[in-house]
Amino acid sequence: MSARWLRPAVRLGAALVLPFVVPGLITGLIWALPGDPASIICPPELCSGTEALAERWNLDKGPWHFFSSWVSGALTGDFGNSWRLQQGIPVAELLEESIPTTAALVSLGLLLLILGATGAATRWLPAKLDPVLQAVGLVPAVVMAMSAAAALTIGYGVEQYSDQANLLRLGLGALALGLADAALSGTVTGVRGLMESERRQRYVQMAILRGEGTLSNALPNTLPALAGQMRARTLHLLSGAVVVEVVLQINGLGDLLWGGTLAQDFGVVLAASFGFAVLSAALLLLQALVEIGTELHVRRSPGGVVA
Amino acid sequence: MPGAPAGRVNRVLPASLAAAGLALLLVPGFFAPEFLSEPDMANAFAGPGAVPPFGADQRGRPLLEYATQGAWVIALPSLVAALVVMALSTVGGLIACAGGRHVQTVVQIISEILGALPRLVVILVVALVLPRDGRGLLPIALTWAFLSAPGAIDEASAVAARLGGSRFVEALRAHGFSRPRIYLVHLVAFNLRPVVVRQGVETFMQVTFLEIALSYLAVVSNQSSFTHADSVQSWANLLDLGYKVVLGVHSGHALALGLGLVALVAVTAVAVTHAVRAR
Repeated sequence: MSARWLRPAVRLGAALVLPFVVPGLITGLIWALPGDPASIICPPELCSGTEALAERWNLDKGPWHFFSSWVSGALTGDFGNSWRLQQGIPVAELLEESIPTTAALVSLGLLLLILGATGAATRWLPAKLDPVLQAVGLVPAVVMAMSAAAALTIGYGVEQYSDQANLLRLGLGALALGLADAALSGTVTGVRGLMESERRQRYVQMAILRGEGTLSNALPNTLPALAGQMRARTLHLLSGAVVVEVVLQINGLGDLLWGGTLAQDFGVVLAASFGFAVLSAALLLLQALVEIGTELHVRRSPGGVVA
Repeated sequence: MPGAPAGRVNRVLPASLAAAGLALLLVPGFFAPEFLSEPDMANAFAGPGAVPPFGADQRGRPLLEYATQGAWVIALPSLVAALVVMALSTVGGLIACAGGRHVQTVVQIISEILGALPRLVVILVVALVLPRDGRGLLPIALTWAFLSAPGAIDEASAVAARLGGSRFVEALRAHGFSRPRIYLVHLVAFNLRPVVVRQGVETFMQVTFLEIALSYLAVVSNQSSFTHADSVQSWANLLDLGYKVVLGVHSGHALALGLGLVALVAVTAVAVTHAVRAR
């Protein structure tokens, strides 16, 4: 296979494998740890009738049976019921409630990053601002989220769970997510560095002399790298969403995952982490498609040029 | 410093700040008490003037003990994680120069899958399956290090590729340098050092902030932390105590100390990065 197709091919392969990596990892860890898997999942001091539980949770016939039965259920949308967090409630229902909230939170955070990336690429955002953004980016998500929670408590008091406050909660959460842990500053400096080095390329300068635009020439060559950067930043936002949702009490996928972890609810954690992995796989797929599309575009003869 | 090379002069301040910051972050942990002092309600929420140097908590116990116990929690795991990332990124850079295309492809595939997982999700999965008596920051920090490694390896490989990869090694061989000297001195010490150390320091900072985040989330959920025993206080406890200032509690000094420690970690990371930057 040609080297230029290797990266997209690896990404496509990784996107297909990724959703099953986390359930596989959990299954592997459960069986790798010393002791009976049912006792690990539900210690005897907390649960009685471990054998019956092992049978109900498909833990009694080895790791492959557990993994394959969970995956075959998940592929049909059946994630089973919550084991402990909200005992008996179908996990699919919990996912349905939480995914739109997390999607809204991460999308709003991503909007901030896209604005920053566009500003940096077009030089609309002055480079003098970079040190300020970098200083703000040093603040960890937990501190940023705490500040947002404090602002809500001070601003709304006992009314902090009203519809208006919840909307503001989402906005502040997205702001915290976008600014903390160098999300925005990393995006701005990364995109600026990439675009500025491309602008210095001879072909771009020749294009300027011909009266053509800089971006229209530089963008096709930088698009794969930009797509990679934005995917990494989106992943970063997904990861940070767990902290922001718990601190700001936003009922999203991250909050569900955290609750499931604290309650040792493997049913919820498996499903929530599968949800995160599917989102991540979709991002990988998107990046691979951008890379393939760009490669096809730049290999085509430009319009008006006779070969 | 007249007459000194400009690069050296510019490194003195960040290097001094980095050394002081690392000492302040790591050394106090070795003096941490095993348990907090007995409560002294007469000193509840006492300020730094009454209970020096940082004041006291709601039960009159010195916040200095919180700070030292928190340093003890993060010191070793953060350092180990940083060293793991530094070692793996160095290996990544060396592989890029050794020219093994198949090895690079395998590294890329592994990096792609590992790097595509949202890190905090994997951390929570690891925290979930850890047995209660095996809980601590070290396994979590190591997991974080392995998840951070693909990015670090990628960056070190890019540095090595910019040098010319295997052609760089061949050129130096033609000049008569031995392989150990080329790989260890010219490649690692002269060229990979800035990126490897920066990646290590970033991992140190991230693991510290991860500990604070996980402990804070556990505190606000009224649960035990995954990262330390219940008898030990994390810096997150300082932030939680300090946060209550919003509710009218006189705990502003705890908030200032907690935020100060977070700032110290960030400043130290920036200082180390500046101190090792390439000329």
